[in-house]
Amino acid sequence: MSAAVAPTIDVVQARREARAAWRARIPVGRLLTIAYFVAVFTILLAPLVVVIGGSFSAPPNDTVVMSYVQFPPKRLTLQWYERIPATELRALGVSFALALAVATAAAVLGVPAAFGLVRGRFPGKAAVGILMRAPLQVPHVVTGMAFLQLYYAAGDLWGGYLQGTPAGLFLAHLFMATPFVVGSVGAVLYGFNPRLEEAACILGASRWRTFWRVTLPVIMPGVFTGLLYAFIVSFVDVPVAIFLASPQAMTFPVELFHAMEQDFTPSSLASASLAAAFAIVLVYAAQRFLGLDALLRSRTK
Amino acid sequence: MLRARWETLLVGPFLISAGLLFGSQFIFLRQSLHRDLRFGQQDPAWSIANFVQILSDPYYLHALWLTTYISLSVALICVVVGFPIAKVLARQRSRWTSFLLSTVVLTSFITTVIQIFGLIIIFRADGPVNELLRAAGITRQPLEVIGTPLGVVLGLVYASFGFAVMLMYGVVLTIPRSLDEAAAVHGASRARVLLRVVLPLCAPGLIVAFLTIFNSCMGSFTSAALLGGGRVLTLPVLIQRTMLLDVKYGVAGALAGLLLLFVVLLNVASVIVLRRFRATRGVAL
Repeated sequence: MSAAVAPTIDVVQARREARAAWRARIPVGRLLTIAYFVAVFTILLAPLVVVIGGSFSAPPNDTVVMSYVQFPPKRLTLQWYERIPATELRALGVSFALALAVATAAAVLGVPAAFGLVRGRFPGKAAVGILMRAPLQVPHVVTGMAFLQLYYAAGDLWGGYLQGTPAGLFLAHLFMATPFVVGSVGAVLYGFNPRLEEAACILGASRWRTFWRVTLPVIMPGVFTGLLYAFIVSFVDVPVAIFLASPQAMTFPVELFHAMEQDFTPSSLASASLAAAFAIVLVYAAQRFLGLDALLRSRTK
Repeated sequence: MLRARWETLLVGPFLISAGLLFGSQFIFLRQSLHRDLRFGQQDPAWSIANFVQILSDPYYLHALWLTTYISLSVALICVVVGFPIAKVLARQRSRWTSFLLSTVVLTSFITTVIQIFGLIIIFRADGPVNELLRAAGITRQPLEVIGTPLGVVLGLVYASFGFAVMLMYGVVLTIPRSLDEAAAVHGASRARVLLRVVLPLCAPGLIVAFLTIFNSCMGSFTSAALLGGGRVLTLPVLIQRTMLLDVKYGVAGALAGLLLLFVVLLNVASVIVLRRFRATRGVAL
């Protein structure tokens, strides 16, 4: 080995600087982050894209079975949208109304409960808190079966059966959704500075005025987060509604579930796409007008 | 300070919640202690025969193990894959972040059944994934996902991922950014800030997110029923079939009781571990 081949200190230094400059010019970390996001979101949205694309796809010829869906579609058609069964459209309406009612009722129960749990002073408060949160621990399928058996038993006693009625679905969903509102409002209340209320009182505001003008605006993000979670819990639920729904009170996910098990046609993709379009409008409108990022700041637990 | 009796507000909600909780849980647990006769009738005599039957039958025990295994995998995938997303969305402000966050929320608004429609089209034998794999020469036989536990895990990941990211987004936001900056000022690299500051502080919240996803997977049955192809029999699927098809309220109640007990015990155990973890680390949360 001759000394001339070994790099001098200067060369090593220069190489190191060149490497640093290259690294500075190409932000490797940032590119990796972007690549990761693109990959995850592509995979995440793929089924949705396929469903919406498939809902416009015409069968390649008359010989293939009805259930065949081509993706990417070769020929476009609107025929599946024309053939959406009326039951699926009605179920979508039922699901929306149900989720709205459940979210509202969960807020009516959950907001006062959160105030009581955070600000009240009484013996056994911890136990009451655990009980109010207990539905989160009950597996959904157990909730569904338990409410079905409860309705059977109550019907045997009083003669009025709740299974297969909107009221039956509503009660079971309310059971699941209320803890979400209690949790998200409670989380905001824990971080609430009582001096804001004191200041309002000192400045002469009445108790109600303080509540409406100071307390409520501060906890509003928590209430909206709770409403959001409660709505989602009811709107996408299958394992509970599968026990409690009937042709008279059918939710959209369960209707699709049955369609998939029994008589699948691409018109189910069309109604699924309608539901997805509805969700897209709802979520981006919420982001636009309420700011979802601000809402999710107040977390459930 | 408002001098209100706040606890009075709790009375109504508490009575309704307690009524629904005890009413629903009491009835099915009582039914589980009666033997099933035919046509949904039950023997009036008390008996623990249903529980004995379940606990001595490897079929049911395997179902419980499979359900736990699938749920653990799903929760792990959601937390590991979702955390970087949640962390970046919570820490970086750009016009993309709120759009991406809405997209994450959007996926949890789409019912699993719709996602499963898509997954079946994507993964069927002549679907895009298998076409791609064949064209690339990676596989000769079509990759089978539908009808396997892997397919069920995939379906559940799609059902839970949005919710997991929403939960973890909230967790990252509770860690003050000033802590990251303090570490960076003292010369910590970005990887070191993540590993030594952000992750340890987020750990309790991540465990809560993990448990929340795990719980919801233990009770969900859509994915197993539609993507399992009748071959992946998880406990929720068995409960639904026993209740609605076999009309055996007692056995269904006992299965549900077992699932409930198992989930509650696991949760209580993890809360105890979590407390200890917080106490030793001194993390205030």
